[in-house]
Amino acid sequence: MAGTDTKSSAAATVAGQRLALLRRPERPVHLSVTVALVLFALFALPELMSAYYTGYMTLVAIYSIVTLGLGLLVGRVGLYSLGQGAVLQIGAWTAARLLFATGQPFPIVIIEAGLVTMLIGTVIGLPAIRLRGLYLALITLMMAGAITVILATVNFPNGGGGFTGYDGQQSHIPPIRRPSIAGTDSAYYRYAVVVAILMFILVYAHLRTRPGRAWAAIRQSEPAALAAGINTTYYKLWAWALASFITGIAGGILAGDAHYLYSINFSTQDSIILLAVALMGGVYNLWGAVIAALLMQLLPAVLQNLGVNYAWLTILFGIGVLQVLTTAPTGLADQFPKDMKKLGGLIWRLVRRPQPGASASASASGGAGGGST
Amino acid sequence: MPSWSELEQFLVSGLALGGVYALSGVGLVVLYRATGVLFLAFGAVGAMGAFLTYEMIQASAPGWAAWIVCILFGGVVTLIYGMIFGPALAGRDRLVRAVATLGLTLILLGAMELLWPPTSGAVRAISLPTDNSGFTVVGLQVSWTQVIALGAGVVLTVGTGVFLRYTKLGTAMRAMANDREITATLGVPIRQVEAAAWFGCGILAGFSGLLLADLVQLEPATLTFLVISSLAAALIARLRSITVTFFAAIVIGVVHDMLTPFNALTNYRDLTPFVLAVIALLAVSRHQTIMTRSSEES
Repeated sequence: MAGTDTKSSAAATVAGQRLALLRRPERPVHLSVTVALVLFALFALPELMSAYYTGYMTLVAIYSIVTLGLGLLVGRVGLYSLGQGAVLQIGAWTAARLLFATGQPFPIVIIEAGLVTMLIGTVIGLPAIRLRGLYLALITLMMAGAITVILATVNFPNGGGGFTGYDGQQSHIPPIRRPSIAGTDSAYYRYAVVVAILMFILVYAHLRTRPGRAWAAIRQSEPAALAAGINTTYYKLWAWALASFITGIAGGILAGDAHYLYSINFSTQDSIILLAVALMGGVYNLWGAVIAALLMQLLPAVLQNLGVNYAWLTILFGIGVLQVLTTAPTGLADQFPKDMKKLGGLIWRLVRRPQPGASASASASGGAGGGST
Repeated sequence: MPSWSELEQFLVSGLALGGVYALSGVGLVVLYRATGVLFLAFGAVGAMGAFLTYEMIQASAPGWAAWIVCILFGGVVTLIYGMIFGPALAGRDRLVRAVATLGLTLILLGAMELLWPPTSGAVRAISLPTDNSGFTVVGLQVSWTQVIALGAGVVLTVGTGVFLRYTKLGTAMRAMANDREITATLGVPIRQVEAAAWFGCGILAGFSGLLLADLVQLEPATLTFLVISSLAAALIARLRSITVTFFAAIVIGVVHDMLTPFNALTNYRDLTPFVLAVIALLAVSRHQTIMTRSSEES
């Protein structure tokens, strides 16, 4: 009796610790900055932006979900996928088909798109997950290529009938609908941001609980994780399913955003650029996903505004990948604050250095301040 | 159902395409075995070389000079990349080293889009003098370019096999494929051997870029991602055997082209390399060979 009591109380303590772990914000400053940024993105930004940038910032919100999923796979579990662009296409296709075929509310449709994508992703992932490292990356590249070829032939739905929903003869193509509360571009931008925040919360909750710990163990060493009693296949598949789910949801939002989808707008190159920006943004940090999306979607818009050729950006991404892999594996999200800190320290030292000497010329400006105190 | 006489012509073009895939696949496997790097920029390097050739021919330079520039460009760019990033990433996971070559792919792709933006009207093309001359075999029209493509594939596979088996440099490369550290301890100048492997792979990239630009199309993204087809052949051979790579490449090329006359399948013929590679990878994974190998490597 006493034994079970201590056992249950111990279990309660563990459960309490777990809850505390979930609740305790890692760094209060970080949390408040995050909240401030989210509020700014939701309320201030749509008022400040032109229509041009609203469109691109909507894409940033959408692609931040995609890079979040990719960052989860690469950074947290160590599964390199070169096929996330194709997963996004599956989500967009499913959502577009359902939006044309049914009158269901938009949120229901994007959740369904997420679930269908998750199902397809898991079916594809189940055999692929047996492979590791380089071979997994290559099989995802092959599958992405295959899906792109299939969708280029099947085409995206344009309001036609049948399973594919594509009618080549159609003269008037109806646009893919948006939710009634988010008909305008700026309202749809807010809608996309809210969905993105929900996805980030979903992934964050995973990372702070059992699956997150299991993934961390798997990334460190799969045999060790296996020895510790973690069902590695199950958790790897879980990560795969979660990433597919959120990418599918991003695809659904993308369908509503674009209004018209064409297979010519998707290519195998996208999947590679996605991995490139995810690595540049940083895969070990959730902010990295946002930075990656800004790099991929906002930077081209800014450059286009300045009249710079998009090809320069492709070159920049290439250099970025090489730089990240050789010198800064944590990506911009971790590297940038560090560099700023270093730079701050350097400036601080440069400013401070002349003072101990207190030579007349060097302390001319600094000395005045010192004198007044 | 198309008749055999319709299919025959596609058999010839398929063999030629397979020959070039074999050329690229063997280049990829040899470099991978010697240095541990899967060179995913193979297609982009060849494509850029082909564009340089196109530009030189437009400037009415002699054809042979333009072709040599294409091939040398491949060798030099690959060698430079290998010399800079080979040592920098030597201690890292094979996956990271493969992903890094995607960086080079993007740089070259961007440069090509910048220098040769898509044209709306005139289509760019390279034509080799061997395109229009040819001969007829059992009623089939065969061009010399097709003969060169298949022949190069065969000669190169046999040549590389002989080279790896009987020459000193080849032996050094095989030793490095087994264990880099021990090979270095035995006094093999591994940096020089690696440089030779990089340069050789680049030469092949330039050569296959030239042939593919002629046989397929001179367009940056198409040529860059054709590497995936030869990669599929290399994967079927588990990145090890050049003989298997050769035959897999021929099968991919022939199946791809022979599907063309089938109305129901013609749009799906580009799936050929992906489907074959996925099946091969999954078949391999059933025997867990990759599991043990990759855990040894990491």
